[in-house]
Amino acid sequence: MPAPTATETPADLLQVEQVSVHYGKIVALRKTSFAVGPGSLVLVLGPNGAGKSTLLRALAGSVALRSGRVVLAGKDVGGVPAHQRVKYGIALVPEGRGRLPGLSVKENLDLGWHAAAPARRGAYATAIDEVLALFPPLSERMNQDCSTLSGGEMQMLAIARALLAKPRVLLLDEPSLGLAPKAIARVYEALAQLNATGLAMVLVEQKAVPLPARREATLVLQGGSVVFQQNRRPSADELAELYLGERAA
Amino acid sequence: MTGRRVEMAALVLVSVAVVAAPLFGSRLIVYYFTITALYASVVIALNLLLGLAGQVSFAQTTFMAIGGYGTALMTVRLGLDPWLSILLAMLLAALAAFVIGRPLLRLRGHYLSMATFALALGTYSFVTAAMALTNGGIGISGIPPLEIADISFAEPRMFYILSWIFCALVLAGYILLAESHIGRAWRALATGQDIAATLGIDVPGFKLMAFVLAAVVASVSGSLYVEFTSFVGPDLYDINIILSLFFMLFIGGRGSTIGPIIGAGIVVIVPQLMSGLERYQNLIFFIILLLLLLIRPAGLFGRMRESVPLAALLPGWLRVSREGRSA
Repeated sequence: MPAPTATETPADLLQVEQVSVHYGKIVALRKTSFAVGPGSLVLVLGPNGAGKSTLLRALAGSVALRSGRVVLAGKDVGGVPAHQRVKYGIALVPEGRGRLPGLSVKENLDLGWHAAAPARRGAYATAIDEVLALFPPLSERMNQDCSTLSGGEMQMLAIARALLAKPRVLLLDEPSLGLAPKAIARVYEALAQLNATGLAMVLVEQKAVPLPARREATLVLQGGSVVFQQNRRPSADELAELYLGERAA
Repeated sequence: MTGRRVEMAALVLVSVAVVAAPLFGSRLIVYYFTITALYASVVIALNLLLGLAGQVSFAQTTFMAIGGYGTALMTVRLGLDPWLSILLAMLLAALAAFVIGRPLLRLRGHYLSMATFALALGTYSFVTAAMALTNGGIGISGIPPLEIADISFAEPRMFYILSWIFCALVLAGYILLAESHIGRAWRALATGQDIAATLGIDVPGFKLMAFVLAAVVASVSGSLYVEFTSFVGPDLYDINIILSLFFMLFIGGRGSTIGPIIGAGIVVIVPQLMSGLERYQNLIFFIILLLLLLIRPAGLFGRMRESVPLAALLPGWLRVSREGRSA
């Protein structure tokens, strides 16, 4: 197996350099590096507890870096708190679909629109119409409490909300988790469309995903360390070996 | 939404009652309605903090005490104008909330509750113990009344109007904030702080804003209360009051608009109606509260779907169940 290298993707939009995260004494993520450019995809795979969510949370600013840099378009945003980092163009679709019970669908979307930097957010009506065109089922549910949505609809809402923040890089934490196959297909169809129009994505999943991308790289995390990093996807056999396996060096 | 319509109807009824009370009611009714308005204001502010922003703070009495004792000391000891004393006490409460809010609000859930509970109990102990400053358990009396030109608010009906104007302003402020982006941000961080942060919401900042606003309202209400009775003492901030504010909110329905006023009215007025029961008055009152909260855990004006049918409270053998013995 080839040794993991830092920048195999042709990219400079988001550069993640030697990022480590500790929770107290526990090392959750060890010296992870990769880069992602416009229209490209970084797929992060790994079993439960491998550090995938920690990586996304570190990129979004929800957890502090122990060391390393997060460089967005040439600027180190690693110390910028989460609520400001989103304005630089990093938006997170969190694990568990980011439910905010008690808020209507429209209110969720309004939050997303407000999250964007004022110079980038665009006219409210246009911005909302854009995401509703991508996820038509939401337009019928605008005044419904978001906790009444189906899993697929909630995931659509979480993605729509993040898109309204006008990200340059979209971080997605297991968007297929717990969804019916039909809903997964629908969500991934939208993601493919977004990726094709130039949105950079860092996508966390446990298993391989049905998302074609022009330029992509795959990272596999295991126990907080990168055990696979290439511009191709690992085969099912490789993945099984990585998940179960002896730590590949 | 029907919930909204019910609230609107309740708001109209409350408005009618508030206008009618001084015209047709006895002095006693005017007195208790005034007390209701003052507590309702504190509870509306608590609702903003707890019902919207999800921060369970027991510290409202601390800021009421800053208003109450602030006004008493500045008017009686320093001879300041009562209006000025209200303003200065309010600024002091805002400053205090700002300073203690930052570290306290880093605590989540039960830890925040416990810390603010300690603060509230500490406040009571302090005003009881600090004899030289507060006169201890004896309290401070002879607080001069508020006046504007020829109008003296020593006249109960005038003070009644003042207290309800204040309450209406607080309610209007609550509604404006609740419907704004700020209110939406509070509700978002109440259920998901991390999610809210990634949506551009400065979570510590918004929490602190709610805490300071609640403190400001509590302080002004605390000042008005002692202006009304011309007396301040530790009992105004004891554990009964600390907990009563929560009863008022939870009976009315947290997150509702009219709930805090109805809740305050029930807690202030209902025990007075039962004065014939003498020493069982409180017992009966708390049994009523218990039943109310069992049937409507979300409060009278809380979300309907959280209500529990009365039948569910009966023991199993009393219930007629089509499902037979399955639980």
